[in-house]
Amino acid sequence: MLLQLNNIFKWVQQGGQRIFLLKDINLEVEEGEFISIMGPSGSGKSTLLNVMGMLDTFDEGEYSFLDEPVHQLKEKHRANLYKQYIGFVFQAYHLIDELTVYENLEMPLLYKKISGSERKAMVADMLDRFNIVGKKDLFPAQLSGGQQQLVGVARALIGKPKLILADEPTGNLNSKQGEEIMELFKQLNEEGVTIIQVTHSEKNAEYGKRIINLLDGRMV
Amino acid sequence: MLKNHLKLSLRNLWKNRLLSSLNLLGLSIGIGSVLTLLFSVYAYYSADVKIEDQGNIYFFKTITTGGDSYRESPYPLMDKIVETSPQVIAATHLHGWGNMWLEQGEKELQERTDYVDAEFFEVFSLPLKYGDTESALEKKYSIILTDRVSQKLFGNKNPVGAKLIGADSLNLTVTGVFEPISPYSSFRLGVIMPNDILKDNSNFVSQANWGNSFSPSYFRVRAGTDLAQLENHVNQLAQNNYVDPTIIAGMKAVPYSESRMDAIPVVKIIINGCIAASFFVLLIVLVNLLNLNTSTMFRRTKDITVRKILGGSKKNVIAQFCIENGILVLISIVISGVLFLGFLLPAMNNIFGADFGKIAFSFENDYVVILAAIALGVLMTLVVGVLPTLRFISVPISIGIKGKIENIKSNFFLKNSFIIMQFAIAILFICVAIILNSQIGFMKNADVGFNRENVIVGNIDLDYKDIETANFNFEALLDDLNANPYVENISTSESIPSDYYFNYTTYHDPNTGRDVRFRRSYTDVGYLKTLQIPIMSGRDFDENMDSSEDNPVIINRSAMEAFGWTSIEGKRLKFKNHDSEGYPIVGVMEDFHYQDLQNSVEPLVHFYKKKEDLAIHRYLSVRVMEGQEKSIHDMIVSAFAKIDSRRNYEQAYLSEKVSGQYRLIEGMLTTVNVVALLTIFISCLGMFGLISFMAKRRIKEIGIRKVLGAGVLKIVVLLSKDYIILVGIATLIAFPAAWYLMNAWLGSFAYSISIQWWMFALGGLIAFLIVSLTLSIQAVKSASVNPVKSLRTE
Repeated sequence: MLLQLNNIFKWVQQGGQRIFLLKDINLEVEEGEFISIMGPSGSGKSTLLNVMGMLDTFDEGEYSFLDEPVHQLKEKHRANLYKQYIGFVFQAYHLIDELTVYENLEMPLLYKKISGSERKAMVADMLDRFNIVGKKDLFPAQLSGGQQQLVGVARALIGKPKLILADEPTGNLNSKQGEEIMELFKQLNEEGVTIIQVTHSEKNAEYGKRIINLLDGRMV
Repeated sequence: MLKNHLKLSLRNLWKNRLLSSLNLLGLSIGIGSVLTLLFSVYAYYSADVKIEDQGNIYFFKTITTGGDSYRESPYPLMDKIVETSPQVIAATHLHGWGNMWLEQGEKELQERTDYVDAEFFEVFSLPLKYGDTESALEKKYSIILTDRVSQKLFGNKNPVGAKLIGADSLNLTVTGVFEPISPYSSFRLGVIMPNDILKDNSNFVSQANWGNSFSPSYFRVRAGTDLAQLENHVNQLAQNNYVDPTIIAGMKAVPYSESRMDAIPVVKIIINGCIAASFFVLLIVLVNLLNLNTSTMFRRTKDITVRKILGGSKKNVIAQFCIENGILVLISIVISGVLFLGFLLPAMNNIFGADFGKIAFSFENDYVVILAAIALGVLMTLVVGVLPTLRFISVPISIGIKGKIENIKSNFFLKNSFIIMQFAIAILFICVAIILNSQIGFMKNADVGFNRENVIVGNIDLDYKDIETANFNFEALLDDLNANPYVENISTSESIPSDYYFNYTTYHDPNTGRDVRFRRSYTDVGYLKTLQIPIMSGRDFDENMDSSEDNPVIINRSAMEAFGWTSIEGKRLKFKNHDSEGYPIVGVMEDFHYQDLQNSVEPLVHFYKKKEDLAIHRYLSVRVMEGQEKSIHDMIVSAFAKIDSRRNYEQAYLSEKVSGQYRLIEGMLTTVNVVALLTIFISCLGMFGLISFMAKRRIKEIGIRKVLGAGVLKIVVLLSKDYIILVGIATLIAFPAAWYLMNAWLGSFAYSISIQWWMFALGGLIAFLIVSLTLSIQAVKSASVNPVKSLRTE
């Protein structure tokens, strides 16, 4: 089992009342799954994704990732855990504007203290695989949205993560570009990477093998 | 990693070109000024560092009953102190007795000449470049040169053993050369010689008694000496031996380390001012950089969060910011170094060089300054790199990733107090500059009691080779001048306003019992006419009468009032405890400002000396018809060309000489002006950055307000209002501080303006104008953004 959420609650205090963002979430994810999370705006999709990615905390419940009890870990350990096993893809790509495609891909490796020659090989490999060798010296602003998201996915993958968390990866793209990204996800999943995506689009959700529906922080 | 940091830093800096260059500009000018100010402080404090154990070197200041004080004492006092005080280890006089002309082959020059005793080097451990301190003053006809004089006479050669002819008659041997002495040192030396040489000088011998105070002397005492007791002892010696001990109120031991501040009191103000100004400028620069950095954080929060997601630690992120700021600081240190060496230091030497000597920067001696600048740079980098980052780095990832900095708590109190402080300092400087400016304007344009316009003054104290021929030729020149239709009046005198000797004598009125201390000088008949100083009662000097009478004098109104006289009828200037008749007072002149307006008009007495007496008179003053100065100048110059002398005739306008008295204080004004401009400029840079940040933070609010119908002006007011209030608070702090400071400062002037409300109003207005201008640039820009755009960004 890759991760397991048991009775996860998350809330905020507003005007003396608890507003639940997540309410009693129970979820098991096996390695190799492709899950789509769906639901209307404000239903807690992104919050759930962030909790799974350890970017956000929760108030109650248990979360184990690769049999590590996340809710008991210190922040530093948590950070090490997601650094090693999770890759993130964002709706707004979140590439670093001042770095070229090559350098953006290299960045996570730098933080992992991987040697120069190895980095070079890994980045070259990734550029090759995504067919963006010719774009390696361009800055994000010089690329189309689809290409930027391609780089975003490549960056998420370069650390060889077990899990990819994608928050509306096609939200800023046109339908053709979106389809390309989804095809890519499908292919990655077939290669063994676990993928959890948040999406609004029925069509994109169909790419997942399992669909989870959220409403007001509850799984339905 | 480092490469990556560097690359990213450079790209970031380039991307924010405007902000980076604002930062760079503020930093460079700021650090450059601080460097200049602190370098002069450093030069001041390091100038005397070679003199060891300064804590045990003292000199005795004579405090008179009249409240004056001076460090000169009668020549025999030192020996008396040494004989009777076992606490004194070594002592030396250090006094001049006319500067000696020195000849070496073809070269001939006159430098400041001081006479010292054999124990000079035991008191002052001034190092010698050539020669030996043990033996340098052993022989009577020795002379020790400063490095500067040695360079002039012998170039780079070691001159020890070389011969010099002194005053056409003395065979002197060079026994040593001092290491170069800083111009800021308390030692202003040219050459020094043993006092023994003076013992052959009949004039000196006749004056070296208990009646004349002309010789400062310095004492090295044993560590732990009871100074109060020594002071008492010296006081007793003075009371027992002085010809007129009644004028002595006390003798005060002053540590040698206070020598410079004692000699030029304004030095203390300048040095403290320099330290305070550098501190404030540095503070402002730092705060400014902090503010500007914070303003870029808006865009950065997202960056920081992405890096954290990708695995960057806090350390990584902080390192990135430090490197980015480090690059800025480093570049600005280099630029400020160039500014300092190429522009600011020469400018400062221009301002203060004439009074304190010009200082130069050399890498081998002053590397400490460079190290200090770098250390300062590192410190600044850490502060401005770490502080703003800390606030943003702990933003939760889920918030940071959305770039929602509205939710980030900012320490509003802290930031506001920064702004208030910055502007308080800037406004303080502006007010100080305005008040100083008014005071200088007042002093320069005040009625000085004489007519300074259209008078040319020439220096006729030229060290003539044959005084009789000179007198003869000079008389001919005076006749020619008198005959010239363009010349209205001529006069020769020992002194002119702005240059009266500090030559004091105390006179006594037996009727009232009052003692009055007079400044004294010699003038000819035409002095009062040429300068148009009115005579209050009595008469001016008269060529025919006064050569026959014995020493008639003219005193000024202050003198008459000091004696409490209403008329000078039958009055004479008499010495206390002296049988002589005294000098008949023939006239009273109105008070005129013979010294600058920082000093009051003290009682003054003029003695009569014939016009052509070149042995006494140092100045030739000519009142010329306007526009004819050139022809008169040429006439005088060609006449002096025929007279054999060692110095050249030089000429200036009296008005220039009078204004020249304020050179130092004007220099201070220039410095204050620069600092005031600098602080307000840098503060505004920071404010510009902050309001950009604010406008971005409130972009949605602005959009909504516009949709709801707010005009551009309303938005501008909305954005600027807070800052204007902050500047208002700053003025409330700055005004009383400026008032307090300047009131104290103006108190040191004998004649000063009173501080007016409009001076503060003007200072505040200037600050408000500059601030509003800065604010409106950004505010108008933000207010003009199409709300459709700004609302869509969310």
